[in-house]
Amino acid sequence: MVLYLLVLLPLVVFLARKEASLLVRLSVLVPLLSFLLAPFLLGTAAGPFRLDGVGLFYLLLTNLIYALVALFARGYFAREEAWRFYWAGALFLASAHGAYLAHNLGMLWVFVEGSTLASALLVYHKGGARPLEATWKYLMLGSVGIAMGLIGVILVYALVGGATLDWGEVRSLVGEADPEGLKVAFALLLVGFGTKVGLFPLQAWLPDAHAEAPGPASALLSGTLLNVAFYALLRYAAIMQAAGLFAFASSLLLTFGLLTLLFAALFLFGQKEYKRLLAYSSMEHMGLAVFALGLGLPWLALFHTLAHSLAKTLAFLGASGILSLTHAKEVGRVGGLVFHLPALGIPYVLALAALGSLPPFPLFLAEFKAVEAAMRWPGLAGLYLLGLGMAFAGLLSPMAQMGFGRGKPLRGQGLDLWILWLLLGILVILGVFPGVEVFKGLEVVLWRK
Amino acid sequence: MALLNTLVLAILATGFLIVSRRSLDAIIRLYALQNVLLALVSFGLAGGEFHFVLAGLALFAVKGVLIPWYLFWLIDRLEVSHEVEGYLSVSLSLLLAGLLTALAFRVGKAFVLPEAPLPQGVPVALALVLLGILSMVSRKKAISQVLGFLALENGVFLMALSESHGLPLFVELGVALDAFAAVFLAGILIFRIKGEMGHVDTARMRSLRG
Repeated sequence: MVLYLLVLLPLVVFLARKEASLLVRLSVLVPLLSFLLAPFLLGTAAGPFRLDGVGLFYLLLTNLIYALVALFARGYFAREEAWRFYWAGALFLASAHGAYLAHNLGMLWVFVEGSTLASALLVYHKGGARPLEATWKYLMLGSVGIAMGLIGVILVYALVGGATLDWGEVRSLVGEADPEGLKVAFALLLVGFGTKVGLFPLQAWLPDAHAEAPGPASALLSGTLLNVAFYALLRYAAIMQAAGLFAFASSLLLTFGLLTLLFAALFLFGQKEYKRLLAYSSMEHMGLAVFALGLGLPWLALFHTLAHSLAKTLAFLGASGILSLTHAKEVGRVGGLVFHLPALGIPYVLALAALGSLPPFPLFLAEFKAVEAAMRWPGLAGLYLLGLGMAFAGLLSPMAQMGFGRGKPLRGQGLDLWILWLLLGILVILGVFPGVEVFKGLEVVLWRK
Repeated sequence: MALLNTLVLAILATGFLIVSRRSLDAIIRLYALQNVLLALVSFGLAGGEFHFVLAGLALFAVKGVLIPWYLFWLIDRLEVSHEVEGYLSVSLSLLLAGLLTALAFRVGKAFVLPEAPLPQGVPVALALVLLGILSMVSRKKAISQVLGFLALENGVFLMALSESHGLPLFVELGVALDAFAAVFLAGILIFRIKGEMGHVDTARMRSLRG
């Protein structure tokens, strides 16, 4: 019962109607309330909903990021109407809650598709030719992709005898299912949820949507939305493992993870707009997380998505600050941020460094562990390192130009820049104290129970 | 069983007609008809179980009545020609549709699960999915892409009926709700595209590259 209320909780924001200050307050309070409430609901179940460790992990992460982004958005939208952002955001937060609480594969699909629709509204915001085009592309490609995923869900349902779609029950029944059918189903599910994760070659919508959305919305898309689809992949990978077909799933995940990494790294080069750069970097890191899952290390995939979400939210909030202060989209027209506006420049440049996986940031550890595990197949590890090197080089020159190149002095009025420093602090703490045991504990929930 | 066979073939025929027709009004009517046929198939498979009948009625209300009504309202308000502009001629579309259907029947056999209640529906469902994709990529007007997506979605629904008596009721309703929300949202976007650019031609939307 409380779980149903938790899913509906984000909709409370609509009570504020269009009144700006109340909208902000509710949009920050709601995720905080959910953040505090959720741990007490661990293990409870109601209808198709149940909260387990992995769901709780992503729910807490989403709520944390959402609260910070909603707070930052107050300064960002100070001179324009913000209700569109908060309304679409509330719908998105509700569908993310639904997805993480759903213990039923059918409901999981319904809420993942719901999050696509809500986030299309976030991209669209107030329109204009480019956002409209990006939203249209996102809606069409996302819907077709996810429809393929639904065929996969139906096949899984039929393969377990049409008995249940409960994740736990499917996992115990799937051992007797026809393995060839399951392989087809998993391939379809990978296409479906992979489209939303941004796997090559299904990523066409991602850079457009992330670049054209207003800054705080981009942060939500990269920091929280991509995880929703990745979470669905995690659940299905666990089902494949329970069916004894992980080798098959693994080869698909490794291949598409690696292809996504290499393709995204290629596109990071010569990218002139910094928000598109960040969008391709999201693709790169989701590819890396899928690769980690393919290595048979779900804990590493969880850790990677956590580190990426924090670093990318920081980077996109920084980028949206830069855009609102300079009105310049291109890397070449922004420079010297570290000197002219250190309160914004320093966390932004460090966010790029974190995304480039420099120590002491947590993505360094994540990638190091992945290389270590991939060493069993030297060719694979080699390609992985090549992709990492290319991606790092692609981030390096924009980082140098924007941080230290020539540019005009700036005044950071009206933006809550302390949020960037807070995120930076969390990142450094996570880098120094990665708490690997916690993630391994979550892996047990997902994998072996 | 003979009746179900006829219904499945009629559904395939509506899929073909949707690809070949050139008038938006006709396509929307065909889509509504397709949903009536799908609802009949689900009644036929229900075997007297009441909740199946209920699900069929609810889906018929959303997809057979509400969505077509909304689409008619949309094209009237848009004040654009009701003709579908495509990259392909009618004969070429039909030829491709035939090839895709043949492919679906060839591949579809491998998709049929041992306990499928309606094995002959599986290749037809696959064909509908492919035909939906064909009409999405071969047509320029934003609204005909929405119709292509809806036809694809009906293919997925037929797949669920054929392989497993349909998904559980609450999942099915969630899926239908999502479909309606997607169409509603697409409608709003189409209005904005018309207002912003003066046309609803997605082939001319190409400012985002790389």
